[in-house]
Amino acid sequence: MPTDDITATRQTLLDRVESSDTPRDVLRAPELKKLYGAIGSLPAEERGAYGKSVNELKVALEAAIQAREAVLDSASIEPIDVTAPWDLNSTRPALLPTTQGTQHPLTKELDEVIDIFTRMGFAAIESRQIDDDFHMFEALNFPENHPARDGYDTFRTEEGFIPPAHTSTMQHRILKDGKETLEKGGHIAAISYGRVFRNEDVDATHEHTFYQVEGVFVSKDATLGDMLGTLRSFFEVYYGQSLKIKTQPGYFPFVEPGLEFAIEKPAALGGKPGEWLEMLGCGMIHPNVLRTAGIDPSEYRGFAWGGGIERLVMLKYGIEDLRHFEAAKLNFLRKFA
Amino acid sequence: MIISVNWLKKFTAIDMPIDELTERIGARLVEIEGVEDLGEKYKDVLVVKVVECRKVEDTDHLNLTKIDDGGVAKDVERDENGLIQVVCGAPNVHEGMLAAWLPPASTVPETVGTTEPFVLAAKELRGYKSNGMLASAKELDLYDDHSGIIEVDKDAAPGAHFAELYELNDYLLDIENKSLTHRPDAFGIVGFAREIAGIQGAQFDTPAWLNELTPKVSGEGEAPKVVIDDPTLSDRFAAVVLTNANEAAQSPLEMQTYLARSGVRPINAIVDITNYLMLLTGQPLHAYDYDKFLKVSGGVNEVHVRAARAGETLTLLDGRSIEMDSEDMVIAAGETAVGLAGAMGGADTEIDSSTKRILLEAATFDLYTLRAIQMRHGVFTEAITRLTKGVPAALSAPVLAEATRLLAEHAGATVASPIVDDYPGKKDAAIVAVTVEMVNDVLGTDFSADDIVTVLGAVELEVKQKDGQLQVMVPYWRHDLSIPEDVIEEVGRLSGFDSITPTLAQRDFTAVRSSEFDVVRRRLRNVLVRAGANEVLTYSFVHGDMMRKVGQNPEEAYRLVNSISPELQYYRQSLTPSLLSSVHANIKQGFDHFALFELNKFHTKRHELLEEKVPRELDSLAFILTRSTSAEGAMFYEAKQYLEYIAASFGVSFVYEPLDADSDYPVTQPFEVKRSARVWSSDKTVAVGVIGEYKRGVQKAFKLPEYSAGFEIAPVSIAKLAAANDSAYQPLSKYPGVERDVCFQVADDVSYQAVYEATKQAAAGIAVEVTIEPLDLYQPEDKQTKNITLRLRFVSHKKTLTGEEVSQFMDSITKAVTAETHGKVI
Repeated sequence: MPTDDITATRQTLLDRVESSDTPRDVLRAPELKKLYGAIGSLPAEERGAYGKSVNELKVALEAAIQAREAVLDSASIEPIDVTAPWDLNSTRPALLPTTQGTQHPLTKELDEVIDIFTRMGFAAIESRQIDDDFHMFEALNFPENHPARDGYDTFRTEEGFIPPAHTSTMQHRILKDGKETLEKGGHIAAISYGRVFRNEDVDATHEHTFYQVEGVFVSKDATLGDMLGTLRSFFEVYYGQSLKIKTQPGYFPFVEPGLEFAIEKPAALGGKPGEWLEMLGCGMIHPNVLRTAGIDPSEYRGFAWGGGIERLVMLKYGIEDLRHFEAAKLNFLRKFA
Repeated sequence: MIISVNWLKKFTAIDMPIDELTERIGARLVEIEGVEDLGEKYKDVLVVKVVECRKVEDTDHLNLTKIDDGGVAKDVERDENGLIQVVCGAPNVHEGMLAAWLPPASTVPETVGTTEPFVLAAKELRGYKSNGMLASAKELDLYDDHSGIIEVDKDAAPGAHFAELYELNDYLLDIENKSLTHRPDAFGIVGFAREIAGIQGAQFDTPAWLNELTPKVSGEGEAPKVVIDDPTLSDRFAAVVLTNANEAAQSPLEMQTYLARSGVRPINAIVDITNYLMLLTGQPLHAYDYDKFLKVSGGVNEVHVRAARAGETLTLLDGRSIEMDSEDMVIAAGETAVGLAGAMGGADTEIDSSTKRILLEAATFDLYTLRAIQMRHGVFTEAITRLTKGVPAALSAPVLAEATRLLAEHAGATVASPIVDDYPGKKDAAIVAVTVEMVNDVLGTDFSADDIVTVLGAVELEVKQKDGQLQVMVPYWRHDLSIPEDVIEEVGRLSGFDSITPTLAQRDFTAVRSSEFDVVRRRLRNVLVRAGANEVLTYSFVHGDMMRKVGQNPEEAYRLVNSISPELQYYRQSLTPSLLSSVHANIKQGFDHFALFELNKFHTKRHELLEEKVPRELDSLAFILTRSTSAEGAMFYEAKQYLEYIAASFGVSFVYEPLDADSDYPVTQPFEVKRSARVWSSDKTVAVGVIGEYKRGVQKAFKLPEYSAGFEIAPVSIAKLAAANDSAYQPLSKYPGVERDVCFQVADDVSYQAVYEATKQAAAGIAVEVTIEPLDLYQPEDKQTKNITLRLRFVSHKKTLTGEEVSQFMDSITKAVTAETHGKVI
């Protein structure tokens, strides 16, 4: 009876795994080959059940081999004294040469952007990488099923959490936290920065993962003119020259009016007059957004903006492919010493 | 969306050059993605009269024609009457017709701007000279019809320019739709033209028929009763019955060219008119065969708008059979669904050549329901695109009335019923109150009341003003205007945001301070960069297999339900696996000794949600050091140098404790228990992280070099320790210090830490400053014992220490240490 053969072989082979120093070799045992070979000689109606038994044996062997390998691995591993400063009979290891170290170009640029805004009086808060529908959409005046939600191509988890598609996911929190200061006669001035996600196929100019910086300013008397002035001022510091700006109407449910903001391409980037770079979306914070955060829109007004970091970096260095950023390639990273 | 500038010009004057116009539109209305100059294509096309036409013998389809071009074309062969000979294969060519002629040496419009422009010539066909060609719609690049040539249907003299006759000296603007999501009115030519007037500061006047909200349409005959079963689904459903429509009738060529310019293919007069009105007004229309409708309904003369029933099926016009559920919305003839509302009609009531009576629908539907239908059934027509923007209900009747007029004119139809409707969503005209002061406060401008009234008035927003108080009457097509901010935006936009002077906000001089955590993170980054490591950023999402490879459980990770690929399906539960998978590619590139680190976040379901019901985010610093050439000692210690360097940089110290074999933290999983350690603050109150070499299985799975080690620590712990670190400065002593080395021989199982701590303890009892440094670690081959050599430095702040004093100190220390560690001094 072939099934008896399997039972007998099974024990033999499992024993062999247990005693072997190279347990994986057992998978090539002639006994196993013989069992497989027997399939062809069986009556058709028995083949199914037999084949299944042989496969089960193989699965059991694989498990036993893995367990045995772990034991062997562990047995051959020498424990070390983790409290020692260096190994026995050797010398203190050296650190790698400083010249080899590099900061990632994105975090470097982010540092610079944050630095300018903090000098302008904006507190910096890191954005979340997992959030909920309320912060990502609802609190920002995107009701459920709002068509503008389509533009964000969000991912979702099984639980309904969202990898935020914009750093505006922090806006409601910033407003809520700043409410007290505001009511004491102060203002809210903050940026949120960090990683955001969109369900997009990746190519040289598209990424599902990228970095944004969002800004929020609220006071009793903020104006759209202030917003234009603030943004121009940022870019003038960033590029170290005076710049022309222009805008274009834009539609974002969380601002009213909503604008797209462009600067004349700076000389540092080889720009010529009449060449424009679209930099970010911005606008006066929608009264519904203020209200949701408990701020009375008849008393206070504000503006907000948001833009990407990759674009700044790519323009600055002339980087050709967005995919380099998250590829962890030293060839790329070491160019930014 | 494609907008024809000439079509706009029918409603408002446009005097500025195209470049200026597009720039103005960009700055004040919407982004333009492209401009096509149509005129270039048609510059040589002439209207000609076919004077003679006869069959070419021995061919089944060729005709020999003589055409009259009014003598306009140059350099072309003519007969004694000045006529030009052209051979034409189109079945519809006939004597006396006006056609569009492409002269020799002209480029076929269809091929203009392609990689292979086709330039015509005079050539022989079956022995007959053919000069240029009579053109089909396809050759003229109007639409995809090559079944015959175009018949010019306007009165024109031979030799007239085709482009002039049909207004084809046009520019087509490719509009970026997204930023008009809230502007259903701008999805019609009339509405767009109104904006063009407004941004030029010119007064716009809506055609009278669009303001006739209760048009007089009367006909004698039956019409269905309209019932919107659930008023949340539709604000209004209006319909009218027409009879005698000729399905075979063609719409005027000019209408066809405007449809074609907008990307809509002309079909026949009935369909073209519904599409034409949709493009013009933004209101989609749908025509049902009314007799079929009554047959399907079983004679019940009622049209219903209702939610679909679970499992209900419908065959659509495109031939697809769909199964619906209660989230869908249908138009029903009596009880039976005959259309997926707003999306597509059903095949059972389709217009065909046997159609006698038409039921024409103009309706508006709940846009959220439509959006869901659009996604579920994949319908992306021009009609649903407009309906999902929220077409105003008031528009239905005027558009139906205009349709009856056009269908009568071009398809011979007669109105056979009044307009019938159900209109549960009827609203009173809205009034938005705003003050001049508010407008200027928000924009930072200095508009007068009159300025504002003029700007808004141009786009027919009537404003009543009194003492700076403005009452804006919202016309029916502007439901997007409901709060003062909406009106303020209109003032800023129409007059040009770019004319607003940029200013800076008034604020006090309070400086902002980076958070402690941010400062620490930035320092950590600098410390590691200074120590030769390379910062990387890797994706926040990983493959389930990657977790399994290191022994993490994917069940504990947040999983994306709509990930791009399995590679990016789970939120990572620690950063180390991402670094592990970055090593091999760099080794292959020839890097043989390097360190990578990443400062980022991870997430795991192990932790309870935060108070605001979102997952906790864990900030982490992962580091890996690897070399493909052999190291002098275990790699663990090489990685440890980095951790100790971090500790020293922050003025803190760590202790290391062997990793617990039963630890099931996701962070510790990749590490080999026998050669890894938990890292703690020196008082063991703050857990810092884990350091070690990787499990052998992990090394294999990630193709790591044998010499690899790393750590993963919590920057927040470093921040906590750094904040608590009082790093009290000890003034320098005026007296020289004395150094003594001592070698303790201890059993192999006594740790370095035990010897060091015992030394430190003993030294604490001595009244001078003592520093202790490791000097040498030696183990003989038998591995029974090991020798730990320490260098002790004694400094007094009071005097110069004598040799004798120091020897006494050493004695007391060595005695204590040997007693504590069961070792001896050698």
